[in-house]
Amino acid sequence: MIELNKITKKFTLHNQGKTNILVFNNLNLKINPGEIVALTGPSGVGKSSILKMIYGNYVFQSGQIKINNHNIDHKYPRNIIELRKNIIGYVSQFLRVIPRVPTIEIVMEPLLEINSDQDEVREKAEKILLKLNIHKNLWNLSPLTFSGGEQQRVNVARGLIRNYPCLLLDEPTASLDSVNKDIVLNLINEKKDKGSSIIGIFHDEYSRKYLKAREIDITKISDAK
Amino acid sequence: MQPILSVHNLNKYYGNQVGCKNMNLTLYPGEVVGVVGESGSGKTTFINSISGNLIPDSGKILIETGNETIDFLEISESLKRLLIRTELAFVHQNPRDGLRLDVSAGGNISERLMSIGQRNYGNIRQTIFKWLDKVEIDKSRVDDFPRTFSGGMLQRLQIAKNLVTSPKIIFMDEPTGGLDVSVQAKILDLLRKLVRELNLSVVIVSHDLAVIRLLADKIIVMKNGEAVESGLCDQVLDDPQHSYTQLLVSSVLQV
Repeated sequence: MIELNKITKKFTLHNQGKTNILVFNNLNLKINPGEIVALTGPSGVGKSSILKMIYGNYVFQSGQIKINNHNIDHKYPRNIIELRKNIIGYVSQFLRVIPRVPTIEIVMEPLLEINSDQDEVREKAEKILLKLNIHKNLWNLSPLTFSGGEQQRVNVARGLIRNYPCLLLDEPTASLDSVNKDIVLNLINEKKDKGSSIIGIFHDEYSRKYLKAREIDITKISDAK
Repeated sequence: MQPILSVHNLNKYYGNQVGCKNMNLTLYPGEVVGVVGESGSGKTTFINSISGNLIPDSGKILIETGNETIDFLEISESLKRLLIRTELAFVHQNPRDGLRLDVSAGGNISERLMSIGQRNYGNIRQTIFKWLDKVEIDKSRVDDFPRTFSGGMLQRLQIAKNLVTSPKIIFMDEPTGGLDVSVQAKILDLLRKLVRELNLSVVIVSHDLAVIRLLADKIIVMKNGEAVESGLCDQVLDDPQHSYTQLLVSSVLQV
């Protein structure tokens, strides 16, 4: 379960005339287990910012964010690190990896955090890569030279190899062809059926409908914009 | 879980000049803390002061060994040296500072082992090979002198030399500093793997925010000898609150 209560978020740009930008005021949102919420609204309205606040990348000035009843509190980074290890998974829009690390190892990494059986983890990574149509020939190469769609699927594989109770998805299907898009959407649906609370940004109507997502227009749940 | 290392209100002055001031740090097992800031901001003074290379003027350093908490600044010199050989390790920016260049690669790796009393040649030799393999240096180079190694190999050798006694806390000062980017990537990959496999706790100093982002869980941003901001690494880099951190983050060139 993901809960946001009365969140205020602003950016203060100290080096640009101390400009204050109020992004959210009194933002409230709740995602239940086994539910998918799709954030909508025009670009720049703060869709990604909501995901980043939940994942702990962005601070907020007031209010409360609770993940399975654990508070996201930046005064205690250790707690956020533990939550990320055990509870929250995040598929970002872009792949950020160490150059020259093979694809298979990148996909294995999140699972190795909780399972030290290399062979078992490798097998699972291979399975999800196959499912996502990443050809075997590519597994031992770094994904940095892959096409946009392939990189995105590696990112999805890495994010979905585990069963996190809470899952954050930032445009996981943006640069995929229709076949691969359906594969990714089916994987997301599997996570929902396993009881994950899922919140995401999906640029196309098709994905939102396919996932039977509860659509939330951010402009309607925050007073800021 | 208990922090394995905690630093409280640490101060180090050079005469009237501030080295570092009012520094705090909490490091948990398996965690990597990055220390960033421009040159002259006190990063190296800080890491030297908490690792036994420099003696700070005041403050407290507590090290948790599992069965007791050690007050690092209060213990005897001999116990301190034992700790530095066993539980702690320091990886220098310049591997030549951390290696003996007139001793073979294998000899460098075995030094710490022998200093804690290992004498069985076969066992030591085996451990050396295991570590050469871990840091991807060919076994055939075991008897070569480090001066015949490339920069990247030297750095990997220094890492092996330091980690061979399974220290719990590793201090690193710009470990990828003088290396070209392709070698840097390899070292970063190696460090990440070792941190995960051996559950290492690391304090790493770097001026390179990209390196810190890839390695660190938490971050401390220093300016003029003080910490201006600290917290979760990607939070501080993605949503910096202090004006200096904002300046630092926005000054990074995009490739």
